[in-house]
Amino acid sequence: MIKGLLALIAVVGLALMSCGEAAAQKGTAPAILAGPLAKLDIKPAQIDTARGTPKGTLTVAMHFALDPGWLDVLEHSYAVTQQMYDYLVHDAMIKPMPYGYVTYGLAEQAELAADFRRAAFRLRPGLKFHDGQPVTAADVKWTYENFKGAYAKVFHDKLEYVQIPDDRTIVFHFKEPFIDFMDLYNGGVSGIGWIVPKHYYEKVGRDGFKARPIGAGPYKLVSQQAGVQMVFEAFEDYWRRSPATKTIVVKGVRDLTARMAGLQTGELDLAFGMTGKLMPRLMADANLRWDPNFTGPWWLIFPGYNESGNPFRDKRVRQAISLAINRSFLVKQETQGIGKPWGNWISPENRDALQGAEAPVPEYNVEKAKQLMAQAGVPDGFEFEYVPFPPYFDMGERILTDLRAIGLRGKMQTLEGPAFRAKIGQGRKGFPGNRTIAQNIDPRAGGAKANVAVYAVCGSSASFVCEPQIEALWTKHQASLDQQERERLIKAIQRILLDEYYFVPIYWNPFVHAVGPRVLPEGRAVSRYWDTLNAPYPWPWEIWEVKADR
Amino acid sequence: MKKYVLVRALYSVVTLWLLVTIIFGLVRLTGDPVAMKAEAGADAAYVAQLKSDWGLDRPLHWQYLGFVGRLLRGDFGHSFEKSLPVRDIYFERLPNSLKLGFAAFVISVVLGVPLGMLSALKVNSGWDNAGKMVALLGLSMPGFFVGLVLIIVFGINLGWLPVLGKGPSTFVWSMPSTWMPFWFRDWAYLAMPAFALGWYFSGAMLRITRSGMLDVLGSDYIKLVRLKGVPERMVVAKHALKNSMIPVLTFAGLNLLIMVNVAVVIEVIFNWPGVGQLLYDALSNRDFPMVQGVVLMSGLMIVVLNFTIDVLYGYVDPRIRLSR
Repeated sequence: MIKGLLALIAVVGLALMSCGEAAAQKGTAPAILAGPLAKLDIKPAQIDTARGTPKGTLTVAMHFALDPGWLDVLEHSYAVTQQMYDYLVHDAMIKPMPYGYVTYGLAEQAELAADFRRAAFRLRPGLKFHDGQPVTAADVKWTYENFKGAYAKVFHDKLEYVQIPDDRTIVFHFKEPFIDFMDLYNGGVSGIGWIVPKHYYEKVGRDGFKARPIGAGPYKLVSQQAGVQMVFEAFEDYWRRSPATKTIVVKGVRDLTARMAGLQTGELDLAFGMTGKLMPRLMADANLRWDPNFTGPWWLIFPGYNESGNPFRDKRVRQAISLAINRSFLVKQETQGIGKPWGNWISPENRDALQGAEAPVPEYNVEKAKQLMAQAGVPDGFEFEYVPFPPYFDMGERILTDLRAIGLRGKMQTLEGPAFRAKIGQGRKGFPGNRTIAQNIDPRAGGAKANVAVYAVCGSSASFVCEPQIEALWTKHQASLDQQERERLIKAIQRILLDEYYFVPIYWNPFVHAVGPRVLPEGRAVSRYWDTLNAPYPWPWEIWEVKADR
Repeated sequence: MKKYVLVRALYSVVTLWLLVTIIFGLVRLTGDPVAMKAEAGADAAYVAQLKSDWGLDRPLHWQYLGFVGRLLRGDFGHSFEKSLPVRDIYFERLPNSLKLGFAAFVISVVLGVPLGMLSALKVNSGWDNAGKMVALLGLSMPGFFVGLVLIIVFGINLGWLPVLGKGPSTFVWSMPSTWMPFWFRDWAYLAMPAFALGWYFSGAMLRITRSGMLDVLGSDYIKLVRLKGVPERMVVAKHALKNSMIPVLTFAGLNLLIMVNVAVVIEVIFNWPGVGQLLYDALSNRDFPMVQGVVLMSGLMIVVLNFTIDVLYGYVDPRIRLSR
């Protein structure tokens, strides 16, 4: 009798829990915030209830040395690479997943007040950190308040106070409308939404956490040699599903030939950054598979174009440069034909980016380019400096060859990666002189507005374009609380940037990744690991499957 | 002798201080690490936070004094790039470099010295020509080329040897039980990088051994020994070899330090986690504390070696200590 009663209670309890999950995901759960709410497009989490047993080892090669600092989300940088580790060790309230750019993670419910002055989240029940301690609203609050990484100032300046109605509910109150909050809080954009265990961080401190972090993500760090290797093991209590692979070993392998050799000998199962001279060898190897993994488009920029005496001040010269580039040939030479000639400088995976008919691929027409140069008063061209994105110097040489056809004689100035990034980060100031073309790529997440905000408005530290017309639209965009209007404005800004040839897009770049024979599923189906939007790496990691260890 | 040793020790300390100062200044001429870490569009507050975290917001002289003060306490500071204490990272990598360096050193000596002796003893013969050819190949075929050939042949085509890393055994300073396994396991991982690194130095060893032996074999005292009717084997083994080895050993000692500290290319190709690769990463990212730490430790090794050599010279040859 008692057993029967207990069974009944258990069944009713389970039914209620599943109803709660479904209701929360359908948005029918009781509201957290009083008053009208803004419309949010957050996809429900896909939870795998049939929890399998993790098996096998996946050995992954990054194309640079590993940084233990990436394990500490409180110091999250702007670099998208850090998210690779976010998705391993930690978990976010909301984050990009293959089934949606904004999806529920630790939170099962999120709300934003219609006046954008409050945001609320409800955590899923039963969430645990790797040490078995529950994930609570206090951890969410502590993470927010102690976060000091990218965008920290925006978050802290806007915050008025945090309210914790119960262990699973948290409400952020802002001093003023914070319309970008959900965009920035999304795990794909900043680190503040990836939740750190307060009790553990306070106990081990900053260095201790970097050396041995714990989180609420699908994998636990079991060992690391700084810069060399990190070993992760499946956290079987992970809420969404049991990770499919038992062990993930991440190695820093800088050299492309070493990564290729590692794949061929079976020492590596997944290698990043395989685009380049070894692509034909990779494509010819029957044991290896690859994914194009499109990131962002390449583009050219003219630092200081609007200063007097700068030959690129004339729109016709900038247009002639665009016309002189043979994008199709470039794609064949540089990417074995995988890349796609492109008409915008912002990744099409970014929300509100112009693409397709809105931003057609610029034509290749050398004769027309020569005419424009003549009309601009420089029929014989001129000399200039060309700064390619390292280490894509071959691509730079090919572009210079194209430009030579219209009399533009470029001298290539090669820089090593960090030095180049430092220059780009200074915008116009990074490129003194008045005859420079710089080549760049930036697959940053956060919508088209994120790219515009960095490169195309006067106030940015990395500004290359400063135009009154764009500035007016941008000011209006920043002041607007109407999402549709903001979308229109950001598209109008892109229209100007392209029509005036302030940016010259080249092609959508494949950042090729390759996998070895141990990775499942067999064949091309493996490409499903690259389905997450705006992700240069194939997360989430809990879905990766490999053959069992021998 | 005591005064001589003290003077040499003082020279060593001054040399180290100069190294500390020069590396502190030079590394700061290479660029701004904050600009490199902060992506394009990073807000000013984030940049200021990084500067403050890394101590780069203080005046240069305070940075220098802080650096020297920490050094005196054995603290190299925190790595900008790897976010952990430089000392911990360096000493985690050092055993790997020592293992690779010693193995390459043994290969260079085993190949270079006997072939050099043979060349000298059979001068202008086929043996000598073969030795010269080996020396030429050793010096003209760079380690990265040899390494890539080895990877293709023994790693990919034959599948005999692993091509990446040092293997699973790890040296942990606080766990003596790991020390012996570290040295005597995972030789398959060591074979190719050690050969590629040792190969280059073997050519140089061969040449210096050959020329040293030829000098000694042509000297008056060897002629005298021969005139006395001492068997040729004894002439070579007891009289010539011993004397010709002094420059070879000095050269070998310096080679060993180079192999341990700056085997950058070989470490990158084979993904060997040594201090050479650590230095390369640190330089690429303008990781000031890491560059300073690695260069200082390398400098310290050289200074200690030179000091030891000076003291030994002074001990075995009274003319040296009296002349200074």
